[in-house]
Amino acid sequence: MLSIENLRVVYHDVISVLNGISLEVKEGEVLVIIGANGAGKTTLLRTVAGMIGFYDGDIIDGDIKMNDVSIKELDSADIMKRYNLTYVMEDRPIFNYLTIDENLKAAAYSRWDNKIKTDMEEVLDYFPVLKPLRNKKAGYASGGEQQMLAIGMALMTKPKILLLDEPSLGLAPLITEELFGIIRKLNKSGITIVLVEQNAYAALNIGNRGYVVEMGRVVLDGEAQELLKNEDVREFYLGAGESKRKSYKDAKRYKRRKRWL
Amino acid sequence: MTDLLQTVGTGTLIGLVYALLGLCVVVIFKASEAFNFAIGEFLVVGSFLFYIMFFDLNLPIFIALPLGLLAAGIVGALIEYLTIKPLLGRNPISMTMITLGLWFFMRACVQLIWGSDTYSFFLDLPDITLETEQFFFLSDPIWAGIFSILTFILVVFFLFRTRWGLAIRAVSEDQAKAMAFGINARFILMIIWAISSICIAVAGVMISNFGALAAGSGIVGLRAIPVVLIGGMDSIGGALVGGLIIGICESLAGAYIEPMGLIGFKDVAPYFVMLIVLFIRPYGLFGTVRIERV
Amino acid sequence: MKKSVLFGLCFVLVLFLAVPGAISAKEIKVLSQFPMSGIAGSLPEFGWGYIDGMNWVNSKEGGSGVNGKPIKWYLEDMRYSPTVEIANFNKYLAAHSKDEFLMATGYITGGLKPLIDKVNKEEKIPWLDGSYSTEIFGDEGGPTKFPYYYSLGGTYGNQLKLLMKWIKENDKGKGAPKVGLVYSPTAWGRDGIPEAKAYAKKLGLDVVSEIEYPYTATDATNECMTLRKAKAQYVIYHGYSGAGSYTASFFKTAKKILKEVQLMGTHYTSGRFPILVCQASYDGYVGVATRPFFDSVPRSKTPMDNPFVKFVHDFAKKYRPKEYVAHPMKPGGIKDIFLYVEGLSYALMIQKVLVEADNAGDLTREGVKKALDNLVWDFNGMFGGKTFSYKSHTIPMLRMYKAKVVMVDMDGKKVPTGGVYPISDWINTDEVKW
Repeated sequence: MLSIENLRVVYHDVISVLNGISLEVKEGEVLVIIGANGAGKTTLLRTVAGMIGFYDGDIIDGDIKMNDVSIKELDSADIMKRYNLTYVMEDRPIFNYLTIDENLKAAAYSRWDNKIKTDMEEVLDYFPVLKPLRNKKAGYASGGEQQMLAIGMALMTKPKILLLDEPSLGLAPLITEELFGIIRKLNKSGITIVLVEQNAYAALNIGNRGYVVEMGRVVLDGEAQELLKNEDVREFYLGAGESKRKSYKDAKRYKRRKRWL
Repeated sequence: MTDLLQTVGTGTLIGLVYALLGLCVVVIFKASEAFNFAIGEFLVVGSFLFYIMFFDLNLPIFIALPLGLLAAGIVGALIEYLTIKPLLGRNPISMTMITLGLWFFMRACVQLIWGSDTYSFFLDLPDITLETEQFFFLSDPIWAGIFSILTFILVVFFLFRTRWGLAIRAVSEDQAKAMAFGINARFILMIIWAISSICIAVAGVMISNFGALAAGSGIVGLRAIPVVLIGGMDSIGGALVGGLIIGICESLAGAYIEPMGLIGFKDVAPYFVMLIVLFIRPYGLFGTVRIERV
Repeated sequence: MKKSVLFGLCFVLVLFLAVPGAISAKEIKVLSQFPMSGIAGSLPEFGWGYIDGMNWVNSKEGGSGVNGKPIKWYLEDMRYSPTVEIANFNKYLAAHSKDEFLMATGYITGGLKPLIDKVNKEEKIPWLDGSYSTEIFGDEGGPTKFPYYYSLGGTYGNQLKLLMKWIKENDKGKGAPKVGLVYSPTAWGRDGIPEAKAYAKKLGLDVVSEIEYPYTATDATNECMTLRKAKAQYVIYHGYSGAGSYTASFFKTAKKILKEVQLMGTHYTSGRFPILVCQASYDGYVGVATRPFFDSVPRSKTPMDNPFVKFVHDFAKKYRPKEYVAHPMKPGGIKDIFLYVEGLSYALMIQKVLVEADNAGDLTREGVKKALDNLVWDFNGMFGGKTFSYKSHTIPMLRMYKAKVVMVDMDGKKVPTGGVYPISDWINTDEVKW
């Protein structure tokens, strides 16, 4: 349903981050995008969500198409309204000085229907940890609670596609596990999910397909299970490669990048 | 003692108007971290728009005031659309610079349109002068206090009880996050400027009613600086407290310190208090203490 | 062949050099500067009056310049800024020779002080000014110290003293009359205050309160409460423009808080502007002025008993018909004929002294100074037929006025009508025994 074609994005007119990236999101799947820091994953999500202009970035080439209609000229509010696409930014994008209730209400700003109240209860049922904190400032909640809230806020926008940017960042393993369980549940309820993750193992485990991004390009793609078995992915992103000891020289990733091309 | 109460009371009434000035700065500062230096010129433009409705078109005040304020709001939004909007997401310093430019630009425009003559300004509100043996409060300052506090309450209600207000507070905290959740930050920012210029127009009309209206009346906008620095640049409650402190402090200085021979101290007193407050609390009395790692 | 070309060239060259020198006789040049624009008020009326006045003075009916020689005049807008005034003056000094550039005028005390040495010692050029500064033209300064400075009105010191004298003469209460002084914290506001206080002491008046009320003030409640506490019976308001919003603020508040108090003031708050801006709260004000009252509200009700007033109204009607009838508070109209007259008076004054100097056969800076010093003139009847002399380097004529403002209904709106009317004869302060 969402396809990105040969997208090139430049920040401040000079810093080239996405160098002709192409990928395809199919309806109902969990798509995992993995890549090292600075590979351009976040930029990719920002661009799709229509927020690249805010960060002084420009699309200089390529196109983003939603059901074969170009959306690269639209801004974030339009994209959300027309295509129910919600972007959950990295690092828990919640409003620290608003209460949890207010956070959920603020997230429902783009909606004008009268079901907001019932939806709020539904979301809180989804994340029971948030219930006792409803009237507290969100800034005082723990990291896991904040991430739950962020996803809950995203649900308040009634998304069909959810772009999640590193939801597991800075969370304890147990909470990460719970979170990924929730993401799977969301997917089962019919939401297409694009998941950008550093925690490649957990992400690929719940994903259907995956892309590996390097230097603003897709270098590898395939079924999630296939990727999990891929030797390079195992070595670079899962930390488990061949068992024999390697020299530090080999460990330097930029020296070995050639292999991808 | 009654003397002191009289002085404090007079100061409080003026302080409420100053609080409104502070609110206008705070609302914009919270949303975009830019200090609006052009506040005085917004005050003049808002007052002149009301002047047109009330004195030139001869409308009754309960029609002229809303219309004038609406016009002020539209002008504020338009100015935001033309000058501030293109800078969304950039460094707040550049927005502050733009407001500095706006200050002079708007002043020149006001002089071109209305000249720099003084326009007589009589609202002729019902006389509610409070005169007893001990106290004497004039009608105009009482009305100014009432209108200011009403506007203040309305703005606070708008911010904390309506969905727009919620969106404004969300945008104020983080524009990017708000945009990601479908809040049109550009539009909200425009609304914020409109609200700010409506409030400032109320303050302008009240202050003009004390005396008269002229292109130079905008100088009173500078009073907003000590108000917000004392109260905290990003605190709405701080604006109220800061305004009252400035008003009372001016009044006390005028009544007790100036007769001691320190003529002219009234004008300096607010800045004096401001310095003391900033020594003790660098972010103002109610300002958020920000920890920035460089 | 070559030689003849060379001769030809030389001839042409000589022609070029000699002819303009031969044609251009000595010109008479004067420079005037008025505050015509700026944030403190847009007063193009000064310029209109001066331009019309100078054109008239150079025309046949106005006396054809200086005995047939036209006056070459320059007008600059100095925007209330001493810096601009000084810069303009220096520019003209550099561009025009000493024996042609005979007079200069200014309109701000701030410009007089930095120019003291330049005008009085280096250039020795007669300088007319709109400033009534006591420091320059009073007992401390005066002709001995600043021989080339001339003012077109009585000093503030004398104005304030006259007010004190009026209080002394008209007070009916028992005990020493209590006077409150309100002045602006500027050189203008403070000017004349020490003289006035000393004189009040001499007369036995009690100065109970002294308040510096700034232009930036938002309201005047505190000031008026202080005066009320001090039980002032007379309040003298000095150093303010009658058109300022601060003046409106003060009068509106004072009228309510100081109900029994007589409000008084100096020249610039005695006129038409306060009637327009302060409306009913200006009623009953007593002030002193250096000129006749030119302009009532509405203009058609102006008393024309003074020949000069009649002259300027006819003059303005003839040369500025559109501006004369335009709405006074809209840009493009004559707000107060006083402003127009100021420009015109300068033109008349300049012509008068230049003619006197020419008649004496000495049309130089020194000659103009002598003419000014010896001048005895009624200023075309401005002072009701009385003449003045310039020996104190000020026009020492002052008169007391009382304001009468009545609000009338017009199209459902209340508008002020009235004016300020004389309550004394013209007083020559040079002749008053203080």
